[in-house]
Amino acid sequence: MFHELNDMRKQRELCQNRKASVLGALLASAAMLLPLANLVYADAAPEKGMVGIKYLNYHDSQTGDTPLTAGMSRDRIDVNALSFMGMVPIDGKWTIAGTFIEDSVTGASPAYHGWGFPAETASGASGDLRHAGDLNVTRYFSRGTLTLGTSYSEESDYKSLGCSLNGTLSTESKNTTLSLGTALNSDTIDLDRDTVVGGKRNPDPGRKTVFSGLLGVTRVVAQNDIMQMTMTMTHGYGYYSDPYKDPDIRPGHRNMFTFMTRWNHHFEGPNGTARLSYRYYSDSFGIKGHTFDAEYVQPLSNDWQITPLVRYYSQSAADFYVPTGSDPLVMTPTTGMAHYSEDQRLSAFGALSFGIKISKEFGDEWLADVKYEHSQQCYDWGINGKGDPGIPTFNMRAIQIGVSRKF
Amino acid sequence: MKSIRGCMKPWLLFFMLTCAFSGCASVQPWEKQNLAKPEMTFEGDRLDTGYTEHIYSSKEASSGGSGVGGGGCGCN
Repeated sequence: MFHELNDMRKQRELCQNRKASVLGALLASAAMLLPLANLVYADAAPEKGMVGIKYLNYHDSQTGDTPLTAGMSRDRIDVNALSFMGMVPIDGKWTIAGTFIEDSVTGASPAYHGWGFPAETASGASGDLRHAGDLNVTRYFSRGTLTLGTSYSEESDYKSLGCSLNGTLSTESKNTTLSLGTALNSDTIDLDRDTVVGGKRNPDPGRKTVFSGLLGVTRVVAQNDIMQMTMTMTHGYGYYSDPYKDPDIRPGHRNMFTFMTRWNHHFEGPNGTARLSYRYYSDSFGIKGHTFDAEYVQPLSNDWQITPLVRYYSQSAADFYVPTGSDPLVMTPTTGMAHYSEDQRLSAFGALSFGIKISKEFGDEWLADVKYEHSQQCYDWGINGKGDPGIPTFNMRAIQIGVSRKF
Repeated sequence: MKSIRGCMKPWLLFFMLTCAFSGCASVQPWEKQNLAKPEMTFEGDRLDTGYTEHIYSSKEASSGGSGVGGGGCGCN
């Protein structure tokens, strides 16, 4: 939604330029100036293009910090990634925007619960190198936008292709915007590899098709408050099992529902902004999740800006999740079960994250930023569902460094 | 019938909340200077958001919520 940002920037510039002396005149002659105001709020394409580059360094590990999980501590996955983005306005009515990412993965993830690591090789669950990109073309109208998008993601054993169509429609006052969207993804999983679990190896690839729909409303609540509610519904069918985890046989379809609400509030005194969000998640695997995000953006002198953030997440277990037994190093028998998985990501747990982002503008064109984020998952931190005490605590940290330029 | 009622609940909640907030006071264009700040929009740093959503969706069962579209991944 580049158009929203652009409209807002235009409005800010307009308002800042006129804030002090002209505001009184504006108020006094509101009726006369309304046509101008409406013009400013038109859904116009951005006037400036933008390019950006960002580096990510990611590391995760698990810690056996209970008597049951003692001895299960180890490093797991490292990722180094580089991503690029570009956005070009065309003729005042169009934009073309795209991103491209390349990431390399090293390390290993467990085959069941918190154990069963492959011997000193890259994890079978992820390719060593992944390339992904998307391209979006947006047409701007007087009170709305229409965006056609396409995406792809490719790694050594997985390929995903997608397309999407998203639209927005605003009221004349621009205080309410309705969003509608739909997307289709087609994924192919290579099952003819040595690292695939024996019983799942197949010369024919696994396939998965996913349809998504979105309905959202963005509403200006007050001069310093704006909120958004978004619902998405997703229906997927095909190959949902993990070819590298054993035991792991999942249902052949998955319906997902999310309800997300976001609220931004600006504080006049410190000139800071609080950004709050909550997401409810539910799917046909039987998983329910709650995600709370909060961050506070505080501008500082000399065009510096600091943003501390905190996130809490909780999920219940999938209906077919098989918990650890008395020895978490040994897989649990699944005899007689139609669907089963010992993937710890399908167990119940809670997670707490915190981080900080610091950015600095250089003139009107350049922006540099660095971000640090740490997260920890623990089986007994959840609020919806009893966790599995045989799963070791999971830790991750991510560092991002980026630069962008407008032109 | 039970499943139909179950499907209707989220839509009903959405509709009710939308109606509730539609009654908010109308803000005039010249009152929107703070709303115009980049940090007040719901679009953030695209590359930052891309990395962060990918990290969490590969380590948790929940994903999505803010939009539709984008490539899938073998990590989840």
